[in-house]
Order: sequence, then C-alpha cells, then structure tokens
Amino acid sequence: MAASPVPVPAATVRPGPGALRHVSGAIGLGGALVIWLALLGPVIALITHLSWSAIRAALSAPGALDPLVVSLQAGAVTLGVLMLLGTPLAWALARGTLPFPRLWEAGVLACLLLPPLVIGLLLVFMVGPYTIIGQWLAGLHLSATNTFLALVIAEVYESAPYYVLGAQAAFAGVDYRLEQQAALLGDPPLRVLRRVSMPMAAPGLAMALAVAWARAMGAFGAVVIVAYHPTGLPLQIWTTLQETGLPSALPFALVLLVVALPLPLAAYAWSARARRRHRG
Amino acid sequence: MLDADIEVDRRNFTVRAALRVAPGERLALFGPSGAGKTTVLETIAGLVPPRRARIELAGRLLTAAGTPGIRRVAVPPWQRRVGLLRQEPGLFPHLTVRDNLRYSRRAASDLELTEVAAALGIGDLLSAHPARLSGGQAHRVALGRLLLARCEALLLDEPYTGLDAGLRRTLTELVVRLVADRAVPAILVAHELDQAQAFAGTLMVLDQGAVLQAGTPDEVVLRPASQRVARLVGYGAFVPVSGGLTAGVHPERVVRGDHPDRGIVLTGLVADVLPAGALWQARLDVSGTTVTARLAEPEPAGTKLTVTALDPPLFGSEGTLA
Repeated sequence: MAASPVPVPAATVRPGPGALRHVSGAIGLGGALVIWLALLGPVIALITHLSWSAIRAALSAPGALDPLVVSLQAGAVTLGVLMLLGTPLAWALARGTLPFPRLWEAGVLACLLLPPLVIGLLLVFMVGPYTIIGQWLAGLHLSATNTFLALVIAEVYESAPYYVLGAQAAFAGVDYRLEQQAALLGDPPLRVLRRVSMPMAAPGLAMALAVAWARAMGAFGAVVIVAYHPTGLPLQIWTTLQETGLPSALPFALVLLVVALPLPLAAYAWSARARRRHRG
Repeated sequence: MLDADIEVDRRNFTVRAALRVAPGERLALFGPSGAGKTTVLETIAGLVPPRRARIELAGRLLTAAGTPGIRRVAVPPWQRRVGLLRQEPGLFPHLTVRDNLRYSRRAASDLELTEVAAALGIGDLLSAHPARLSGGQAHRVALGRLLLARCEALLLDEPYTGLDAGLRRTLTELVVRLVADRAVPAILVAHELDQAQAFAGTLMVLDQGAVLQAGTPDEVVLRPASQRVARLVGYGAFVPVSGGLTAGVHPERVVRGDHPDRGIVLTGLVADVLPAGALWQARLDVSGTTVTARLAEPEPAGTKLTVTALDPPLFGSEGTLA
C-alpha cells in the first residue's frame, strides 16, 4: 500500500517581525494619543468655553482676586511646612533609619488613601475647638477652624503624602556608596547630606514638591469642611458655581490652572535637565 | 604604617586578619569571592563595626574595640584620612571632574590640581561631567581625588574589574608609582591572582575569613602553605609521590618531556585538548589522576604524553607543605 503523501500546507502569508513592529508601534502611538487627548480634554473644554470678555468681567469684580492671594499664601506656607518636616521623614524612610519602618510608611499611606472629605471631617475631631489641640491652640489665641491656619493644615494633610513618598523615592535613588565615599573624603553626615544626598536627590525632590504644590493649590475636600473662610481659589470656584452657575465659575478655574501649573512645569523641565546631565 | 588586627562577624563566619603595611608598601588580599576581603577594607575605613579590632594609621589610633579593659575608640570615617577606591569609581555625577577632584580639599591650589590631573592624564577632562567619561578615565579621576585628599592609606577594592587587560596594567603601574611617590601604605583586594601579583609586594591569602598564608607573591605561588592555598593560586592536580607525600601540579608550571632534574616526571594519556589563549590546555590521565597542562602545541587525544611538573610543592598527609 502506498503511503499517502503528507499534505503540504499552502504557504500562508504572515507579516514578518518588521511589519508586526510597525503595526504594534502604530497601535501604541494611537492609544497614547487617545489617552493624552482624553487627559487633556477638560483643559481643552475649559479653553473653548471661555471668552476674553467673561474672564475680564469675572476678574475685575471687587475682591475677585482675594482668594487667589489666599491660595498662594497658604500654598507657600504649606510647601515650607512640607520641606521642613517632610524632607527629614522622607530621608529617614529612604535610609531605613527609623524603627518599624513599615509602620511609618503606613501612616503616610493612610493619609494618601483617606478621601480628602473624610480627612476634613476627621480634622474637626482632631483640631476642632472642643478638642485638646483646639483648646491648646485657643490658649495661644489661635484656631484651626475657618482660619488661615485651618486652610494650611487642610492643605498639608492633602499634599503631604505626595511629597513624602516622592521625596522618599528621590532619596532612595541616591547610591549610599556615594555617601560613604563623601564621608571617607572627609565630610561629616550633615555635610554629606548638603553636598551629595540633597543635590543628587534634587530633581526628584523638585518633582515631589511640584506635585505637592498642585495638590495644595487644588485642595478642596478637607478645606471645605475646616476652612470655608478665608476663601481660597477652589472654594471660590465652588461658591461661584453654586451662586451664579457654571459660566461665571470657569474664569476662576482658568486662574487656578494658570497659577498651579507653572511651578510643576518648571520643576519638570529642570529635573529632566538635571537627570540628563547626571546620566550623560 | 598601617597596623590592623581585626575580627568581624559575618553571616556565616568571622573574618580574622592581622596586617602591617609600611608607608610605600603594597599588600594584596587575595582569595575567592565572599572570602571576607572587602570586609577587611571596610573595617579599616570605619564603615563596618568590628567585634574586636585595633587599627592604627600613621601613629593615630583609629579603632579600638572588643578588648576588655581598653577604652573603646571608633574614629568616624570622615576623620580617618583613608582613601577607598571600589570597582565603581564613585564619582559624584552632579559635579564636574574638577569639582570631584577638589571634593575633599576645596583649597587645593590650581597648580596642585593641574599637576595631579597631568600625572593621571586627565588634564583635558576637568570641565566634563562624570557621565561623559570612559571607565578608565573615571578610575583615573577617582584616584586623583584620593591623591588630592592627601589620604594616609589607599584601599583598593577590586578597582579594575571589568576594564580591559591593557588598561588594568596601565592603571596598576600608575598606582604602584603613586604609592611609592607619596609613601602611603596601600592594600589591594583581588580575586584574580595576576592582578594581585602585578600590584603587591606581599600577598595575603584569605578564605572563609581566615588568613591562610602571607608572603611574597613568589613564595605563595611556588610554595603554597597548604593544598587549599595551592588550589586558590591555581594548582589543579595533586599526585602522590614517594614517602607518602603529594605533589601539587600547576597547569602553567608543566613542560613537555622527561626532565627529572627539574621536577617530577608524569606520563599519561591525553584525554582532551582545548585552546587556552595562545596555548592549549591538555588533560592527562596519570594513573587515575587528571593532570592539566598548558602546552605550546596541541596534542591529539589518546596519545601518550610525558611531561615534567617543575619543582612542585610537596604536601604531607595533613595537606600542609612538607
């Protein structure tokens, strides 16, 4: 019996690896473009729905720019507090010098995971007028309810985890052997921090600070509970929306964007340049 | 003078070493990876706390620890004036070559800086950032930085691993010259014998935290104190000879032919031959023991071959040099 010949499959046309790469590259690019446009969508919508006359009218009203000043002041103080208290914590977390490091990280994460509105509610129980801290503050003629201090506290709570986690990653990226080398070349720990650790972590620290700034400027959830007065920009947008509707709130949204954005953009550009120089 | 006597606990064993290196002298710590060589350097540099130690450098007591009745001293790394050069040159990426060189002594004069840079061949790189340097250039800058820091001891932890052989030789010659010029004690850690030999006046063999032998490179290579040291310096076979002794055979100390006046004569069948650089590495079966020999010409497998192991070290039944 003759063996039946093995059927030879007809040659199928398959795209070569080069063609596949092109197709997957095009899909990737298309996908990225869609995501980018979707992310930018609200900004595009904001710009297309605004007219110069509406902006002029909204911003020329008496006291219209006061919330901007309040937001800038509170944001600046918040950044100061974060740098002063958050930087050492981030450094200690990155170097593992604290006992029970996971516990400390959990504290920072809890702050990140709690919705800002809930943080605001809990702040009332923590620093409200009838709490121990509230009474201690009252003794100093201070109050953490509907004051500038309350606004700063709310902004610190909303932005601190972004700064601490970002700064921790920045410090963790500094090779400890370079710090050892600096020590062996004669620098005591604080000088090593100033001459090696800080400059090397600076690009990451700048980014962390920029993100924290954006969070602080846009802080709303906790602010609306504990610091309705003095009114910052996000609250001004909210109250305008409530009182006179969407079109009159939009100019203030633009102001918030214009004020909050330059620092992150500048930090991004600077840190990208610094990183390029470090890596060659 | 660098005088160190240390005991440091590691996870699996304790590193124990006592060494004295005079100004201008060079010691190489040689041993397999994980033998505790780097631990010795890091203890001298003050980066690792010892269980017991006494370390003196140029008359200064740097460490005194773990000896009852003696006050504990632990000079911090930044006051030790000990230079450490690792495999990664450890240049600060945010500073230029000039600022790296000047890191420890900002007051160093331009003349001194230029002299050191010229001696190291990095004079035209002063404005560059480390990321732009090649591996060899980065090592020169790191060395220059230690020289400008006026370190009183130089510790080199396998600094040239990963660089090509020519560059390694050039850098080793440079360090040897600088150590002599500056009259500082220097210790090199190496896990490759030729690097240790090219550098050192004294070779110290370390394994599992213990010093197995210390002596001139020739002594250690030609008269290893034990079979363990012999294996570490490359002896591949140990063949029984008369009187209950065992002869160590080093593949590179074997010549073809019968020369009883120069060593012991071994005859066996060639099992296989493999190229090894410009030579051929043949494995001979000598009465059941495999002997490796480097030969100038290949020998077909299965041929009977007579070779002479030149002046081999002889070991007693305990495995120590007879």
